[in-house]
Amino acid sequence: MHIPDNYLSPSTCAVMGAAMVPIWTISVRKIKSEVTKEKLPLLGIGAAFSFLMMMFNVPLLGGTTGHAVGGTLLAILLGPYSACISVSVALLIQALLFGDGGILAFGANCFNMAFVLPFLGYFIYKFVKDRAITEKGEYLGIVFGSYIGINVAALCAAIEFGVQPLLFKNAAGQALYSPYPLSVSIPAMTIPHLLIAGVVEVIFTVAIFSFIKKVSPGTIYEGAKRKTKAIYGLIVVLICLTPLGLLATGTAWGEWGADEINEVVSGGSALGYVPEKMANGFSFKAIMPDYAVSGLPEIVGYILSAVAGVAILIILFKVISTFKKIKVGDSIG
Amino acid sequence: MDNNRLKQFDMPGWLLKDERYCPQTDKDTFINKSILSVLSILSRIRAQSICKSAKYSVNAMFKVAFTFMLILLISFSRNFTFIVIINIYLISTLCLMDADVIVKILKISFVTTFFTFVVLVPSAIWGSSFNTIMITTKEFATITAVSILSHSTRWNSITGALKCFFVPNIFIVVLDITIKYIVMLGDFALNMLYALKLRSVGKNKSKNTSVSGIAGTIFIKSKEMAEDMYAAMECRGFTGEYNVYNGFRFNIADVIYIVINIGIIITFMYFERI
Repeated sequence: MHIPDNYLSPSTCAVMGAAMVPIWTISVRKIKSEVTKEKLPLLGIGAAFSFLMMMFNVPLLGGTTGHAVGGTLLAILLGPYSACISVSVALLIQALLFGDGGILAFGANCFNMAFVLPFLGYFIYKFVKDRAITEKGEYLGIVFGSYIGINVAALCAAIEFGVQPLLFKNAAGQALYSPYPLSVSIPAMTIPHLLIAGVVEVIFTVAIFSFIKKVSPGTIYEGAKRKTKAIYGLIVVLICLTPLGLLATGTAWGEWGADEINEVVSGGSALGYVPEKMANGFSFKAIMPDYAVSGLPEIVGYILSAVAGVAILIILFKVISTFKKIKVGDSIG
Repeated sequence: MDNNRLKQFDMPGWLLKDERYCPQTDKDTFINKSILSVLSILSRIRAQSICKSAKYSVNAMFKVAFTFMLILLISFSRNFTFIVIINIYLISTLCLMDADVIVKILKISFVTTFFTFVVLVPSAIWGSSFNTIMITTKEFATITAVSILSHSTRWNSITGALKCFFVPNIFIVVLDITIKYIVMLGDFALNMLYALKLRSVGKNKSKNTSVSGIAGTIFIKSKEMAEDMYAAMECRGFTGEYNVYNGFRFNIADVIYIVINIGIIITFMYFERI
């Protein structure tokens, strides 16, 4: 679901970026007023979770891959505003360090995965949970929230892809950016997500939520016991398991490189050309492109990337927490 | 009533006069600056002495030895992948530390790395961009490794660890006493600076000369204190030899640390094709 550079026109990117600015501003303000200094590093752990979950690629129909995002999980654990910032920062690290998702398309990616997904997922969870008071009702809310959340996010990405050929064409009628219209992009994105990636997101969300609820309820409920060690342990286990994500070969739909798109088959025929701006558009060289370290086997590179990403996210939010002044009553409340 | 009125008339005229005394401003920022710099050093050393020791902490001897080894390996390595791996290892250790320690360490690392980079910019422009990236990342790794050591280990345990590496006794004595005396003499200097600041109101020409007075007094004081301390130590049987008495026992942290470092050595050998 990470839209690379040159798939969306710069104007689309600008619009999506502009849409994110007020959302980020409100989220930062909410976090400033509501999240205490001690709880801020939890946002980093949340971002690390999201980062790791996005590394678990699962094979989808038609030779592409997809992944869970964990936006709903973070929204339930930390609140939707914190989830928005956590996922945004995780996406930024992915874009800058690992070349996953474009720099120009950062606003659009954040809109799909850091705004639509956590907020929608959270409100569905809340809606279901408030009507069914039992524990089963809570889990039902999580299932519905995470499933609908990731699918609507995929739909948003599909619409952003599909609008491109309608708006931007060269004189020969060939698309300048993403070449597939809505009639191709929507089924190509949503059907695999409805069938597989959505289910994976639900499994991850329910499994991690129930684990955290069991070992460290203080993360979810105020005043209960909080065990950070168990959560760090879970992160280590997830890091060790990330190479599973390499089993899924193939490129995710809409994330092909300029060299691949020529041969992509959709609707029975290959595209046959490389869209103009994709061949010679904006390019950014990441430090560890595609989660690989040159000179190392793929699996080792993948694990190292996971460790580096998690460490950087945790450090980032710990550093941010030192900027926050201790307010009177923080330690009491 | 009458008595009161009488007293009021008895007041001398100059006392009743409204007086507005504004002392002339003088340049005394140098006092504030020296107070601040002395305080910052003292607070760092004091923070070290209340350094909480974790239940399972790695023995200082291993830390010093392996950090030294790590720096050597970093400087010998000609392979960029190895340096990237070391940096990831250091960053992941860093993320387990406290937030304010992380900020301190990163500040030092980034500032020094940035200056190295600025110095190397001309060489990058003239074509050897690989060396520029290599040297700056090496620099970042080295500084971070040393800072992690100094922030996670108490200084007296580092001097204790030096004994295991056959460092001459006189060197350890000097190092140990230096660290202790920085605190004591710093306190002394701080008090004199406070006194100078409080007592000189308005313009005072001899303020600059008092600073040299402070320095001289501290020198004399340090000489006296050193003689006294050495005498006291001799009285208690100090012969100039350091014996390390520690019931050293392997714990799980030591084992993990050693395994990680052996892993680093193997990675180094793998990448350098030794």
